[in-house]
Amino acid sequence: MIRNYFKIAWRSLFADKKYAFMNIAGLAVGMAAAVLIALWIVDELSFDRSYSTTDRLYQVYSKDSFDGKSNIWGRTPGPLVSALKSDFPEVEDAVRFAEDTELLSVGDKRLNTKGAITDSGFLKVFGVASISGNAATALTNPSGIVITQSLSKKIFGNTDALGKTIRINNKFDREITAIIPDFPSNSRFHKTEFLLPFEYWLQAWGSGMTESWTANNFITYVLLKPNMDLEMLNNKIQNTIRSHTSSSSDPVQTQIMLHPASKWRLYSKSENGQLIGGEITNVWRMGRIAIFILLIACINFMNLSTARSGKRAKEVGIRKVVGGSRKSLVFQFLGESVLLSFISGAIAFALAFIFLPSFNLLVGKSLYFSYDNPSFWLIAFSFILLTGLLAGSYPAFFLSSFKPIKVLKSGFKLSKNAFNPRKLLVVSQFAIAILLIICTVIIKQQTLFAKERDLGFDENNLLYVTLNDELKGNYEIIKKELIAKNLATSVTKTLSPISKIQSDRWGFSWEGSSESDKKQDFIYLSSDADFIKTSGVKLVDGRDIDIYNYKSDSTALLLNEKAVKVMGLKNPIGAIIRDDDKQMHVVGVVKDFIMGSPYEPVQPLMIEGPSAWFGYVNMRLNPLNATADNLKQIEAIFKEHNPLFPFEYSFTDQQYELKFKGEQTMGALASIFSGLTIFIACLGLFALAAYTTETRRKEIGIRKVLGAPVLLIATLLSKDFLKLVGIAFVIAAPIAYFVMNNWLENYQYRISIEWWVFAVVGLSAILIALITVSFQAIKAAIANPVKSLRTE
Amino acid sequence: MITITDLEKYYATEEVRTIALNKLSFKVKEGEFVAVMGPSGCGKSTLLNILGLLDDPDGGSFVFNGIEVAGFNERKRADLRKHNIGFVFQSFNLIDELTVFENVELPLIYTGVKPAERKVRVDAVLEKMQIMHRRKHFPQQLSGGQQQRVAVARAVVNNPKLILADEPTGNLDSSNGNEVMDLLTELNEAGTTIIMVTHSEHDAKYSHRIIRMLDGQKVTENVLAEFKSV
Ligand SMILES: Nc1ncnc2c1ncn2[C@@H]1O[C@H](COP(=O)(O)OP(=O)(O)OP(=O)(O)O)[C@@H](O)[C@H]1O
Ligand SMILES: [Mg+2]
Repeated sequence: MIRNYFKIAWRSLFADKKYAFMNIAGLAVGMAAAVLIALWIVDELSFDRSYSTTDRLYQVYSKDSFDGKSNIWGRTPGPLVSALKSDFPEVEDAVRFAEDTELLSVGDKRLNTKGAITDSGFLKVFGVASISGNAATALTNPSGIVITQSLSKKIFGNTDALGKTIRINNKFDREITAIIPDFPSNSRFHKTEFLLPFEYWLQAWGSGMTESWTANNFITYVLLKPNMDLEMLNNKIQNTIRSHTSSSSDPVQTQIMLHPASKWRLYSKSENGQLIGGEITNVWRMGRIAIFILLIACINFMNLSTARSGKRAKEVGIRKVVGGSRKSLVFQFLGESVLLSFISGAIAFALAFIFLPSFNLLVGKSLYFSYDNPSFWLIAFSFILLTGLLAGSYPAFFLSSFKPIKVLKSGFKLSKNAFNPRKLLVVSQFAIAILLIICTVIIKQQTLFAKERDLGFDENNLLYVTLNDELKGNYEIIKKELIAKNLATSVTKTLSPISKIQSDRWGFSWEGSSESDKKQDFIYLSSDADFIKTSGVKLVDGRDIDIYNYKSDSTALLLNEKAVKVMGLKNPIGAIIRDDDKQMHVVGVVKDFIMGSPYEPVQPLMIEGPSAWFGYVNMRLNPLNATADNLKQIEAIFKEHNPLFPFEYSFTDQQYELKFKGEQTMGALASIFSGLTIFIACLGLFALAAYTTETRRKEIGIRKVLGAPVLLIATLLSKDFLKLVGIAFVIAAPIAYFVMNNWLENYQYRISIEWWVFAVVGLSAILIALITVSFQAIKAAIANPVKSLRTE
Repeated sequence: MITITDLEKYYATEEVRTIALNKLSFKVKEGEFVAVMGPSGCGKSTLLNILGLLDDPDGGSFVFNGIEVAGFNERKRADLRKHNIGFVFQSFNLIDELTVFENVELPLIYTGVKPAERKVRVDAVLEKMQIMHRRKHFPQQLSGGQQQRVAVARAVVNNPKLILADEPTGNLDSSNGNEVMDLLTELNEAGTTIIMVTHSEHDAKYSHRIIRMLDGQKVTENVLAEFKSV
């Protein structure tokens, strides 16, 4: 029986090669897309779940409200860790964690490396086993360092690194106490290559930041004992910070809560004081796209099968007459679609395999097929089987319902009138395709819109380097030389790069400020001199900070216009602003410029003189020199005056570009996949049109004999399909509007949706459909009528 | 074997209600060869469909092998059909994607016969129909007469008690037609009951008895040959 089904499935499939090709191509492309997306989704869902302690791991989040707005963030004060460990028996262990980039050197090998400073329990908390060295004690040695296997390879090659010494920042020697495996790509520590014990922080920067209950410098990870009730524990610990600061003058209201490891990746976006969204929205978005594509491909199959039902009807009739039951026919047709699905599935996996590297490049992941995992095969098998059943369900039940006495009568025709589900299928296919395309266009528009937003400073030709210890001492020599040699037109030291927010502060008071103004948050930046000249920010009032000509500029302040506005300063120049016992004076006001998100309004900003901290040196390159040449000469100067550190630089404009990466990736994915949906939909439409014209060949022949012109006939044949695409548009457009309106709500700085986008997409869809269909229609219309009338 | 009494069938389209069978009654004995004749549209095919359990009458009684089958649902009809009845159509109705062998094998598959036995039985019947040498061909590669022989082979492979033939020679030239008629006669002589619809007086002469119909009713019956009940 099965063999018989298989045989007839195989033969009827390839009796009609065009049909087989269209069906397999559509289904294979759809499945390949779904497979790639599924890989992506599985990777997203697997983030931070591979630690052996995952289900007991938490990150502490802080919650507070400012200006009446609730806020939540993942950094916590230094002393929290010991309080949690001593006050709550539910806590098995807790560690502080701070990302850190250091210059590691061994001999003349020098590498700027990303790593972290953390408490001794880290490896235990995350269940990390060492490759060599003792994991349990590796971080208890105050002058130890733990490195990953790949860092060990980079520095020491294949020789055993355990016990060897690494010099950090040209200053501190650390002994390698353990080598651990690399953190996997679906771990948040993937880029972390070394771990330093917490003593390093104290030695390098002192204990100031670590003992304050109000400075949020650390991530706190907590490992709970098994089977703890999270909600109860959250209630218990929420006021831990408050209870330790009640005596201090600063009334801190900050509460804490535990955020489980399984949600770190997916729910990391803070909104109204809650971690509700984040990457999960992308997961849903991609999931929907995958389902849509697969559905469209399955609909193709349904459409084509039912379009061919005229051909299959006779077979159904005969089988029933000779004893076939309806059930056996349902199985037969399902078998056919499953067979087709397996052929398509094999091609789909081949396609997915071929395109995986480019897909990886696009999404910035290193996804792979785990062939060695039996569950991979099981899932692949079920996926193909399910697709086959889904695609075959409708035709199976439709075809098997034919009555033999009807279909075996000569001249049998499927009723053309009334409700035709095939039309519904075409409409839904195109509705989905149009929906995706409109969304893609709007996503692209929004990204472009934000990209073209005037930054308020000149991001081009603006270079920055990190201010290392040695550079701190030789900064002025280097600055002088850069300008003297005409390499840079101006140089300034800042706290963070100009297009990156790395610090914000509150707690200021000024003349006329109220108690609630203390909660006004300001983005914080610093400069020694020439900030305006270097950045290209516009000065509105007053002057730039210049410590070299004004001794008191150590505590000088520049404000942006937004800051002046929120502070309500009538005469900002000369205004005194207090931060605890520190007193600063405003020397200038600059026009608003974008440091943070290009999608959001500019926030109030303070730029402080040299009494603040510096982290970077910015240079405005001389535009008259060729960049490559310029860089070579700049490097030479750094080599001379900053020899202990490698010369590594960044361009502000390139760094700024990175802010669009998420949207750009999303936009690229959306365009690729919506392109695929329209491709698959058109494949289906093409084949459907071919079948429809075929069944109407006789009618066309008669019409031609009676004198109808080619154009009229082509129009007659195309009209029906275009009507369907039109209906699809009418359905898709409002949904697209609604969805995109919602999406745009995420952005403060956004486009408004314009009607012409809909018009253009709608017309294009109709045009594409017209080209697809009219190809068949014209072919039929110009065919010799004698031929089609004779064969019957 | 078959007794129909006051059998009725209507076809209702939007405006007109056609009476296809109007209180038709007759009997067919086991082993008999009956021809049904009448002008186009008089209800012959409709009758055959009901006798073949492909369709349900709207009124009257139909007793098959002693069982009242009028009002049977589709599943029950199908079950009875596949074990007892073989069909031969004017337009052969072979499945184009299956070979001669596979077409003939089909009824055996649906009645659950094991593959080894299927092969024996199909080969035997193909031999009998003198079409063995074409067993691997597809229907389009055969002449009309050959195709109809395959169709007859398929109808008899399950050893049905009753063969219903709707104008079996309608698409064949006279020599091919005669061949098919000889085949049917042979089967009948071997004991199979045959009811055949035909427009050809020549073919009708092969039967024991001719039932003539007009407008869904029986008008006359001519007995051609003495039929002794088995
Ligand atoms: N599905 C149907 N719907 C409506 N009317 C039908 C249907 N099938 C048959 N009829 C009508 O019932 C009557 C009997 O039809 P039937 O096919 O039984 O005639 P017939 O005797 O076999 O004719 P022919 O010799 O041309 O094959 C005819 O008037 C026909 O129009
Ligand atoms: Mg007829």
